[in-house]
Amino acid sequence: MRTRSIGLSLFATAAIVVAACTGGGTPAPATPAPVTPAPVTPAPATPEPKVWKIGVVTDVGTLDDKNFNQFSWEGAQKGAAAIGGEATAIVTVASADYDKNVQSFVDQKFDIIVTIGFALADATAKAAKLNPTVQFIGVDQAPCLTGAGDPDPTFTDCSGDMATLLPNFQGLVFAEQEPGYLAGIAAASITTKKVIGAIGGAAFIPPVVRYIKGYINGAHSVDPTIQVKVAYVSDDLGKAFNDPAGGKAFATQFIQQNGVDVLFQVAGKTGNGVLAAACDANIYGVGVDVDQHESTPETAKCTVTSAEKKLSIAVEQAIMRVGDGSAKGGIIGNDAKNDGIGLSKYYEFESMFSSDAQAKIQAAFDGFKAGTTDPCAPANCTDPFE
Amino acid sequence: MTGSEHVAAPALEMRGITKRYPGVLANDRIDLDVRPGEIHGLLGENGAGKSTLMNILYGLAVPDEGAVLLDGQEVQIDSPADAIRRGISMVHQHFMLVPVLSVADNILLGEETMANAIFLDRTEAHRRIDELAQRFGFEIDPEAPVGSLSVGSQQRVEILKALYREARILVLDEPTAVLTPQETKEIFAVLRRLAQEGHSIVFISHKLYEVLEIADRITVIRRGRVVGTTTPAETDEEQLAEMMVGREVQLTVDRGESSPGEAVLKVDNLVVRNERGRETVHRVSFEVRAGEILGVAGVAGNGQDELVGAITGLRRVASGTVTLGGSDVTGHSPRAMHEAGLAHVPGDRHRFGMVMSFPLTDNLVLTDYYRAPFARGPVRDEAAVAEAAIGLIERFDVRTPSPFAAGSTLSGGNQQKLVVAREFSGDVRLLVLDQPTRGLDVGSIEFIHRQALAKRDGGTAILLVSAELDEVLELSDRIAVMYRGEIVAVVDGRTAVKEDIGLLMATGGRDRDGSPATGPGPASTTGSVA
Amino acid sequence: MTGPAGEPTNQPVPPAEEAEAVEAADGARAASALRRAWALVVVPLGAVILAMLVGSIVILASQVFIGVEIDPTLPLVAYWAMISGGLGSFNGIVETMVQATPLVLAGLAVGVGFKAGLFNIGAQGQFLMGALAAAYVGGQLRDQPALVAVSLAVAAGAFGGLVYGFIPGALKALTGAHEVVTTIMLNFVAISISSYFVSGPLRAPRSPFAQTLDVGNAELIVLFGRNGHVGIFFALLAVPIIWWLLWRAKLGFEIRTVGANPDAARFAGMRPRRLIALTMALCGMLAGLAGSGEILGRVGHLTAPYATNVGFDAITVALLGRANPVGILFSALLLGMMKAGAGQMQIQAGIPVEIVDVIQGLILLFLAAEIIVRRLFRIREARVGLEELATVTRSYGERSA
Repeated sequence: MRTRSIGLSLFATAAIVVAACTGGGTPAPATPAPVTPAPVTPAPATPEPKVWKIGVVTDVGTLDDKNFNQFSWEGAQKGAAAIGGEATAIVTVASADYDKNVQSFVDQKFDIIVTIGFALADATAKAAKLNPTVQFIGVDQAPCLTGAGDPDPTFTDCSGDMATLLPNFQGLVFAEQEPGYLAGIAAASITTKKVIGAIGGAAFIPPVVRYIKGYINGAHSVDPTIQVKVAYVSDDLGKAFNDPAGGKAFATQFIQQNGVDVLFQVAGKTGNGVLAAACDANIYGVGVDVDQHESTPETAKCTVTSAEKKLSIAVEQAIMRVGDGSAKGGIIGNDAKNDGIGLSKYYEFESMFSSDAQAKIQAAFDGFKAGTTDPCAPANCTDPFE
Repeated sequence: MTGSEHVAAPALEMRGITKRYPGVLANDRIDLDVRPGEIHGLLGENGAGKSTLMNILYGLAVPDEGAVLLDGQEVQIDSPADAIRRGISMVHQHFMLVPVLSVADNILLGEETMANAIFLDRTEAHRRIDELAQRFGFEIDPEAPVGSLSVGSQQRVEILKALYREARILVLDEPTAVLTPQETKEIFAVLRRLAQEGHSIVFISHKLYEVLEIADRITVIRRGRVVGTTTPAETDEEQLAEMMVGREVQLTVDRGESSPGEAVLKVDNLVVRNERGRETVHRVSFEVRAGEILGVAGVAGNGQDELVGAITGLRRVASGTVTLGGSDVTGHSPRAMHEAGLAHVPGDRHRFGMVMSFPLTDNLVLTDYYRAPFARGPVRDEAAVAEAAIGLIERFDVRTPSPFAAGSTLSGGNQQKLVVAREFSGDVRLLVLDQPTRGLDVGSIEFIHRQALAKRDGGTAILLVSAELDEVLELSDRIAVMYRGEIVAVVDGRTAVKEDIGLLMATGGRDRDGSPATGPGPASTTGSVA
Repeated sequence: MTGPAGEPTNQPVPPAEEAEAVEAADGARAASALRRAWALVVVPLGAVILAMLVGSIVILASQVFIGVEIDPTLPLVAYWAMISGGLGSFNGIVETMVQATPLVLAGLAVGVGFKAGLFNIGAQGQFLMGALAAAYVGGQLRDQPALVAVSLAVAAGAFGGLVYGFIPGALKALTGAHEVVTTIMLNFVAISISSYFVSGPLRAPRSPFAQTLDVGNAELIVLFGRNGHVGIFFALLAVPIIWWLLWRAKLGFEIRTVGANPDAARFAGMRPRRLIALTMALCGMLAGLAGSGEILGRVGHLTAPYATNVGFDAITVALLGRANPVGILFSALLLGMMKAGAGQMQIQAGIPVEIVDVIQGLILLFLAAEIIVRRLFRIREARVGLEELATVTRSYGERSA
């Protein structure tokens, strides 16, 4: 009987493995196996022998999401290489597991723990308070702390000063208005109809508003007569940031009604649908947060550039600050000054951007650095409906 | 018959077969030999060890001792596939057929005749099936879906399947249990033809008269041992029954005199529809009195199921009334009926009568689990359940190793006894018996019949519905004949003539020429009714 | 090979069971019970072992794809890290229990359904609705005394799940709509409902993110370790309660009868339709309790979207536990251990966390393909199947009870 013989051979295999399991004594590989997905070579020239153990806790998702998780992870790996250490990741699979996953690294005596995404802010702050000797880096995190240094999940008492209360916690935030401004210049440079648009996920999310207000100001810095049409998808966060199909439908209607020829998405995965609608309508799209020409290849054909938070650089720098002992806790703004933001490459659209346009973008960037250009003027960066 | 003077090596010989299961000696040095061209009857009560023996023959069990010889050669049969390769085929009581596939496809299943590596050779397969069918006088359309065939025809498909696999030894397990008398006659003709062609047949049954009619020799097994091997000429039903059961068995119980009281069940102009909404019981009226048995005779499918369903509360009543003990219970729930004094031995004990996976104890209180003494408030009283169950098991002689064994571990007869024990106990005003002895051996039948009569004599009104005309004739004080959803006649049970009732069942008494002659003709097929 | 001889009418007496019963009669009931328990456990155990073995092949193969040098001991490293992460320390054990808590409750929600012949795939939705209700009530009562806040929030979670379980139960009872279909669809509805409420009406006023108010005093107190909250005891308590309900209470007898044979249940005077609705409500309540435990004991608020897989893991738990409350407890602990140790496995072996899902999937596969397990391990014990699973599959597309 065929089944029986297959069964026999499988059983034999099983028996061998079982024997291997039991016969080999207690399998106690107490030494951390150096088999991280992407092995990091410690810098050979490091004078001190310390090998930094760097743990990364992702948000729910995967490590290779071509988005926050992936770029932060890359930054952690680069940072590890720079200061002589190893980076290891735990991927979160359930919303209830943030604390647990952070704790896993604490238990394993990691030196630096990087947590990715605002959802982990509270878990990170709690762990930072409990483990003052461990350095924490939170990507996109600005927790609300009480005077005692505890996170306040109700956001009523945010009187605590993170820098003094949690000196071991760097909360990395980004000046979204700056890349938004750059994206505005870029959009204004390529529009022919003088009508451009931006679609935000939800109007009550401050970073979204900052992106969009910067975008408006940037466009108007090129040509004050340009019309910038703005719309927000929904107050329901699921629809606002996690609904590509809904975003596509929303954007299709938006494009028809407003006749824009460049469209900036600030709506997460919903925004991926916005870009798809732009491609379908044969207009240009501008991506957000990461280089979407690369991260969402299906809409690369119309994504001229993206307003980028340089997650990788920000994380790498934060780790390096720990490495050289210069790290201070608190909210760390990432902006043009530390190359924490920027505009992505243009790829095949390079030729569309005249040298004049590119010069303007560079000038604005330099202006941010020098503090001479204010991305939040004339339109302020707080009121979405001004 | 093909004579019994074969002296050649037996086609099949099982020698000293012993099979032990922990605590049970299922087969104890059993010897069985079947000659070429012989029909060998294998008789035994449920649980006597017939199935174990046949499982060994079919490669489903390995004997602890003893040998199996085919044509004098000792063989070891590892699996059913191996058994089939060696020419042994088994036809089960419950057919192993796929209803939606055609006859031909069912026959081919597992024994595909291939034209090449990928495609079946249907033409060749059909040719062989036709040839076989013709040779043995089967009338079967190879293209008909098996689900559309009558039970008798399905059985022929099973046999055809065995023949297609070139079986030399055919084991038929209770082949007639589901057949009508006419179909039984037809299958017997087929079996005789097969024997003439040299096939050996093991015919398992507990219908004594059938074995006497068809078998060349008969081996009787009791409690794992061969009691004896005999021939029909040397024995009779009484003797066989005694060999099977180990004591003298009365094949017909004496029903005695009845003294009916007032009417307990009144059915008035009852109309019932089946699942598909078709009216299957048309304005039926009758009554059953205390202390009498009203038998309902009829060919299966003439509305008896629906009638019983409506009376017991399992089916919706379309119109008409059911009165139990003077109060209108039309459309009441099964529980309300039960509380009004109705007990019901359902026709399909597997579907309704018991929960196979449950222990005997739970099964014995299935209808009373919810009230004292078996439950107090929301809590069951396991001790009370066990106590009552042990009492019932003893009183009704349910053969089980333990009151906590699952219902599925019982033999069919004991399962039915279990249902009977539950339904017959307690204060019953109306007892509905639906096919109470279907598929049971003589000992169990006798037992249940006695219990029913005792219940009647105790003043219970009994409605007996049975497809076994002999049973109805034997027990009923009055007999109602059901035909196409109507009661076409009610006759006195003591003076009723079997042939007359049979005619009524077949034609409804409307002088239509019902094709299957109900009169069974030769007296040899009867046996119970004088 | 159930074989033709397995037909249950005439002489079904499957030898092993017969033998087993005989022994009981001989007074060796303890041995018989032990043997029964072994027969119950042996296949799930085999499935787990096989899943780990095949999982180790997957681990080895994954190295090839990553392109690193193949380390044949990696599966051992990974499993050892997982086990020591889940059981190797006091905190690990506590974490295992914390992880197992919702799995026990949701596993019971699926398992009780099995007992009634219902395949409750909706534990996920019931979990979410319980979480939503608990988060809402907990948030509202955040400043009330803890006892009041906790008990009302837990009750709300239970009620939320109950209502959400009752819906498919009632649909099945009234219209015959199969619960597999309705509960799957209701899972999606639950995601939308909770996401709407969390980012709309129930959104914490000042929060920049979509989450409900923190539950404040409604938080379940931590009794031991870092996060050993009192919900662990609720789950542990639920096991004997459900066991008692199923095996000692009238209702449980009715549920089991409907599950094993709906026709016989009707014959016995039970009301299968009502019982189906009731059982689904009970299942929903258990899943809702799981949801409230997560919110009140671990997270403190509900977010949108809320990532969880408890409702589906519960199906694995229930099947692995053979729908038996005690079995479910142990299965939940096993999966809880895997989840608790997953972090350490990722740290020490660098194995992607998905291997946990792979093993879980393999366990289900081997449970479904029981014959493979039986063949490989030469298991001779009688099949102690879930009778009710037959009802589950049979009822698909057939008339409701």
